[in-house]
Amino acid sequence: MSHAPGISAQRNRGKPKAQADVCLILEGSYPFVTGGVSSWTHELIKAQSHLSFHLVFLVAPGADPACRYELPANVSGTTRIVLQQIPAGRRRISGEKKLMNRLEGPMLRLLSEGDLADLVEVQAILAGRKTEVGSNVLLDSSHAWQMLVRMYNATYPEASFLDYFWSWRVLFGGIYSVLLAEMPQARIYHSASTGYAGLFAARAALETGRPVLLTEHGIYTNERRIEIAMADWFHEMEEDGLSVHRLPHQLSDMWVKAFTACSRCCYKAADKIITLFEGNQLFQLMDGAQRNKMMVIPNGVDIDHYTAIPREHPPRPPTVALIGRVVQIKDVKSFIRACAMLQESIPELQALIMGSTTEEAHYYAECKQMVEHMGLENIITFTGQVSVDEYLGKIDVVVLTSISEGQPLIILEAGAAGIPVVATDAGACREILLSDHHDGDPPHQGGVVTPLSNPASTAQAVERLLVDREWYQRCSEGIRMRIRRYYNKSCFNRTYRDLYEYYRHHPGSDAAAGRVV
Amino acid sequence: MAGVGFHLRKLVQRDDLLGIVSGFFYSTWVTAGPWVMTIVSLFLIVWISDIARYRTVAEFRLIIIYNFAFSLALTAPVFMVVTRYLADLVFSTGEKTSQGESPLDRVPGMLLGSVALVFLSQFPLVALFYFWYVALEPLVRMAAAVNYFLIAALWVVAVYLTALKAYHVVSTTFLAGLALSLFLTWFFTGGGSLAGMLAGFSSGLALILFGLIAYIFAEYRADARHLFGFVRYFRRYWELALAGLFYNLAIWVDKWIMWLYAPERVVIIPGMPSYPDYDAAMFLACLSIIPGLAMFVLTLETRFFLRYLRFYRDIQKHVNFHRIQKNLDRITSSLSGGLRSLMVLQGGIAIVLLLLSPRLYEAIGFSYTQIGMFRYGVLGAFFHVLLIMQLIILTYFDFRRLVLVLQGFFLVSNALFTSVSLHMGFPFYGSGYFASTLLTFVITYLAMVRYVNDLPYQTFVLNNLSVRRPVPAAETAADKGGRAG
Repeated sequence: MSHAPGISAQRNRGKPKAQADVCLILEGSYPFVTGGVSSWTHELIKAQSHLSFHLVFLVAPGADPACRYELPANVSGTTRIVLQQIPAGRRRISGEKKLMNRLEGPMLRLLSEGDLADLVEVQAILAGRKTEVGSNVLLDSSHAWQMLVRMYNATYPEASFLDYFWSWRVLFGGIYSVLLAEMPQARIYHSASTGYAGLFAARAALETGRPVLLTEHGIYTNERRIEIAMADWFHEMEEDGLSVHRLPHQLSDMWVKAFTACSRCCYKAADKIITLFEGNQLFQLMDGAQRNKMMVIPNGVDIDHYTAIPREHPPRPPTVALIGRVVQIKDVKSFIRACAMLQESIPELQALIMGSTTEEAHYYAECKQMVEHMGLENIITFTGQVSVDEYLGKIDVVVLTSISEGQPLIILEAGAAGIPVVATDAGACREILLSDHHDGDPPHQGGVVTPLSNPASTAQAVERLLVDREWYQRCSEGIRMRIRRYYNKSCFNRTYRDLYEYYRHHPGSDAAAGRVV
Repeated sequence: MAGVGFHLRKLVQRDDLLGIVSGFFYSTWVTAGPWVMTIVSLFLIVWISDIARYRTVAEFRLIIIYNFAFSLALTAPVFMVVTRYLADLVFSTGEKTSQGESPLDRVPGMLLGSVALVFLSQFPLVALFYFWYVALEPLVRMAAAVNYFLIAALWVVAVYLTALKAYHVVSTTFLAGLALSLFLTWFFTGGGSLAGMLAGFSSGLALILFGLIAYIFAEYRADARHLFGFVRYFRRYWELALAGLFYNLAIWVDKWIMWLYAPERVVIIPGMPSYPDYDAAMFLACLSIIPGLAMFVLTLETRFFLRYLRFYRDIQKHVNFHRIQKNLDRITSSLSGGLRSLMVLQGGIAIVLLLLSPRLYEAIGFSYTQIGMFRYGVLGAFFHVLLIMQLIILTYFDFRRLVLVLQGFFLVSNALFTSVSLHMGFPFYGSGYFASTLLTFVITYLAMVRYVNDLPYQTFVLNNLSVRRPVPAAETAADKGGRAG
């Protein structure tokens, strides 16, 4: 088999750009934001240095974020898609009314009960017209307006029209920007999430017939659900606002449905649906993923690196640390409350909050204020973003209070260094710390799993670890063994290498033929 | 992971619809006010001079008409844009700038700036005309030019007072000033000095002008700074400036064509032809629109304006589409109701005038030969007032491009039909104006029905600034780095 990159590039006649081995599709993460997905991406590209990667970034409109990572040398090209930004296109096109009328049905379905078949239909309608249609026709024309009003009347006729209007524009603008963007050529398309990125991947499968992989870290629809619930959806009530009916839930329902539909399309188009831990697979099934394509590839860490970090032994104050960005989803406030409780039994306690404080400035301000109100300034330190390695040696317990998680890398890193973890029951935490992999001789548990938003349980678990030396030793050994056995980085790299190798030479996507039924 | 393209908070606050509402309220006065003022003053002058029948009086009348006509047309772009700027200032009162000044603190500086702009831009033309093109005594040249600039300045200053809602100040000052003007003019008529008559008339105007300026300065005690801050509005609202020019050219163009080409025209000052009979007939006919305008302004301010506001406010209050549509129906019904009653009133006036025209002419002592033109004028004025109403409504909804096109049509059709009527001969004089207003009215009506029924689309998409922002295409940077492996 001689599928060297050079040859594939030659085959791709007519296009000046070389065909990459892997087109990685990233939404709102790498290389602009630091965090789990981004470091996963960075490590993945670096580890597969024999392959060339073309990166597609989907970014929010308006922001012009700075690059936080230096792109590895095997990144052969990048495409940036700004969501909702579509070329204006022609002002009028022939058969505009017909085009818009044909779009209405499949678009409405695509964003509600959506399925890949609807995407196929939308693609077919837009095929060959992608250079002439743009925001003028798709969003601003009177036919688009009539389509909007009809959709509104058919779906949420009681909801605020102003909100529907903007929701519609943002949603449709986002979808169209993904559908009209240039498609880079690659042997494999690999998306790091569903959502808009997933939709782009589904499009790639349909247009190129090449295999599509999906690695879902968090569950996109879940994260959007949380975001929608947290969003300040309620309008400020005006003084004479009593006469106004507000039905905000209807519209948030519309958003959730749309995102779920995008996920379903992506699942159907994908050849492999990968996630980091089993817990996520449940949600994927719920959102319509096919079980036979599903697979777990946990993240891994460099075991030797972390084992080599020397433990700093007492005398030093007992130290706990929450390692993560100071943002709402990490529920830093629960950690602060837990520290306040711990202070009573362990007065010499030191607590570190390690992570970027700039992402949600108002939330950070609230946390700081809380620390002051509770008089914890001598105990809690916000270190900002720091190198975790330098601190690991003197941390006794790592704490996670997140209300949503993927597979937190920090548990793996701390675990490899032998630090027990107290984590909320979110994402993969339970799996990493407690699960029995049925491969004989289960390792001891690597820490404690606590309920969400329950500072008392967190405090209790930390206290036991700090007070009961024998329990601490068992957990420390347990987590070290677990990480070594199941979350070894070389394992992770090998799995992806094999997957890429298999699909690179694959004649074409299975799904391309069979997935659209 | 951060979700992108999903900012609910921003989403909800991104509705700057109310910006559209800001400031069309005053367009009524600006579109109709100067015209009414012109007709009334010119009619009085024509009437008085017609009785007097002195040569100097005829010359005086000619210069005044020229000054009114050209200053109104040439100043229109400035006062249209100034009106819009002022309206925005008035609507943004309450917001303070970074230096802690209120938006209205800009009024004094802007007043000086706009008057200066009018003077500077029109000076070359006026100087060429009065000091080179026409042959007049030096003193008369001077007095005529001064008179021109006083009138031009008045158009601009009047805008400030209407925008600042000082209607009573305007009317009292105007009454006092015009009375003084007429008295002094009459006084100097006896001496037969043209320059004296012009100066007499100008001193009345000067009284009005400086009275109004003093009033504005007394009301807005702020340093005159940012003199030309409004000039950038010409870029943004060029349609408004151009539409103002077109409209004011349109209402004069039939007279100019008659002055230049009618065989019956009179040339008492070389280079300044005129056709006094046509002018007199038209001014008199146009006086008939005053009751109609008054009624229209009244209904506009009460029923229509409330429904208009309700339409936009309800959108802001997150009502559903059904309600938006219902509010639109209420607007449409108040519009058709308003148009209907205006037609009844103005139609009644027109019929009475048509029937009584011989008696009327007898009473005021005008020449009977004008009666044919007068009748066409009355018919034209009937459609003219309906047209004004529709144009103002369209301006309220910010259909600037449409209004520009319609006023351009009015200008072209009036010029064309007047030329045709001229060729058809004396019995048809005035029919061009009538045909033009009739046709423009019909077209404007059809356009209004279509645009107003489309108002939600217009409001949300076409006229929505946050939608109509140019978007750059997604960029692609391929082959960024070298390939490895």
